[in-house]
Amino acid sequence: MAVIPVEHGLMLATVLFSIGLLGLLVRRNILYMLMSVEIMLNAAGLAFIVAGARWSQPDGQIMFMIILTMAAAEVAVALALVLRFYRQFQTLDTDAANTMRG
Amino acid sequence: MNTALINMAMQTTLAAIEPRTIAQRAAESAHENLWITAGYFLAAIVGVALLLSFLGMALIYIERKVAAAFQCRIGPNRVGPWGLLQTVADTLKLVFKEDFVPQMADRTLHMIAPFLALLVPVVLLALIPYSPALQVADLNIGILFITAIGGFGVMGILIAGWSSNNKWSMIGAMRAGAQIISYELSATLALLVVVLFSGTMSLTGIVQSQEDGWWIWRGHAAGLCAFIIYLVASTAELNRTPFDIPEGESELTAGFHTEYSGLRFAFFFLAEFINMFTVSALTATLFLGGWMPFHIGDWTSFNSAMDAIPPSIWFLGKVTAIIFVIMWFRWTFPRLRVDQLMHLEWKVLLPIGFANLFIAAIIVLANAYPYPVAGQ
Amino acid sequence: MNYVFYIAAAVAVFSTLMAITRANAVHALLYMITSLLSSSLIFFVLGAPYIAALQAIVYAGAIMVLFVFIIMMLNQGPASTEQERVWISGKTWVGPTMLCAVLLAELIWIVRGDPAWLPGKTIIHPKDVSKALYGPYILVIELASMLLTAGLVGAYHLGRREPERREGES
Repeated sequence: MAVIPVEHGLMLATVLFSIGLLGLLVRRNILYMLMSVEIMLNAAGLAFIVAGARWSQPDGQIMFMIILTMAAAEVAVALALVLRFYRQFQTLDTDAANTMRG
Repeated sequence: MNTALINMAMQTTLAAIEPRTIAQRAAESAHENLWITAGYFLAAIVGVALLLSFLGMALIYIERKVAAAFQCRIGPNRVGPWGLLQTVADTLKLVFKEDFVPQMADRTLHMIAPFLALLVPVVLLALIPYSPALQVADLNIGILFITAIGGFGVMGILIAGWSSNNKWSMIGAMRAGAQIISYELSATLALLVVVLFSGTMSLTGIVQSQEDGWWIWRGHAAGLCAFIIYLVASTAELNRTPFDIPEGESELTAGFHTEYSGLRFAFFFLAEFINMFTVSALTATLFLGGWMPFHIGDWTSFNSAMDAIPPSIWFLGKVTAIIFVIMWFRWTFPRLRVDQLMHLEWKVLLPIGFANLFIAAIIVLANAYPYPVAGQ
Repeated sequence: MNYVFYIAAAVAVFSTLMAITRANAVHALLYMITSLLSSSLIFFVLGAPYIAALQAIVYAGAIMVLFVFIIMMLNQGPASTEQERVWISGKTWVGPTMLCAVLLAELIWIVRGDPAWLPGKTIIHPKDVSKALYGPYILVIELASMLLTAGLVGAYHLGRREPERREGES
């Protein structure tokens, strides 16, 4: 198996997290924003796995499973919301939803 | 005891032919000579490629002959002896056809999709234990890996349907996606029953756990129930009749591969048949004992006669039987409607699958197998 | 095996970058699937085969297919790709990139210099994970199941098509 410095694993996680954040900030389409959130969640999970491997304990993997469950539930609800959003505004531009009682 | 002697004899023969997978051998040789490792890789690749082409030819021929027999026809009989070369002729025809890409299609994705569709069953071929000595790789997370890879088959189909930029392709792909994802749940639940029984996720381990009886009857009704659920669910995952609404000719021309021609169409066709083989092989491995010969309790002479048949022949026989059953389905059941399809999965198979898993857990906790497990 | 980690990491970073910069939604999703699969490979290399398989099954196999489904259902066509291209071009990138670069620099400064090495040859098998999961972490299972139920009910409620409103009502 691999012998990799812990910091390289964590650096990869931070790079992925930053890219996800960048996507979230730049994009206006709600689908891309959701995808960026997924990237960030996955990066956080990667950090957990690296930490778990650092101490050879299964705890990191369990934390990853919580993230996974949360991501699955979040995506189900969020995509239903996207469908709803699209039906209401006929667009995926998040700026279209800047008024209440739309 | 005579049985113990036979067991010992079998174990020594097994040890003599070194039941190690090709991946293990490659890893071992990596310390000594990298060329030998490369040789093993090459052997695995060439072997899988040969198996692929042979399976493609054989299965298409069998399908035609079986279909002909069910419809009181003769089937292919002109090209070669008994029409054996018909598939070769068809393949040649497909190779020389124009590889057409629609103008409005997403070119790159349109070209990649058939390969993605074929990739999945080919990777799965590497995991199947064909005999004690013949397996490319035996992973300790074998079952999980199969579920993980199997889930990707749908990507090829979805991409093919989307990139064709054609309504029929699109509807076909959406239907295929919904169907495959839904039925994957039931199939996985049925797989979990076997994992519970055998206590391992490695495929070779599962085969070895069936030494005293195959899981289809050793697990009481739970094993049989899981077998039936798995067979139904995987037929649905194959998109074969009676679950072939993704490519129902009468409504969607050809579903997701409407816009494909030539070699790329052949890839989809091949992927479907190789998928059928892998599903049958997995069913045989998980529920029917893989390469384990058929044994009955204390019938020593009968058992030794069964042992005389080589394991790979056992495996092939079981796989052929299941392939025949799947082909039989095609000519027995009428095609389901979309709502009937979803009804069958979510309101029939899934609840039964959950109840079955629960019962299986109780059986395992009570250790109530009809035959005692050898190791315990 | 070290090379596997670094190659997979490079693929992950590259495909994630591509995913957030594509104008075509399906292309972006495919890049994202590549990224998730390469992080699955990284998990495998780090000795977490169970999580690697879960990542492929749940993330790449189920969540991403859901995304593909939604994109295909909305099926926006070339016009939206053009719109997207206008939105993501030019100055939009300047501010966020600088902010993210600052964040990245800070994070790397924090994680830098940990002298520890990931221990070789420790693979945490699914069995160990399950034992921990059904032992001290049993509450996690309950939490996850509640979360999933909530997600299921929420998705069903939100996704349900409401009966058509008549004229005059609003």
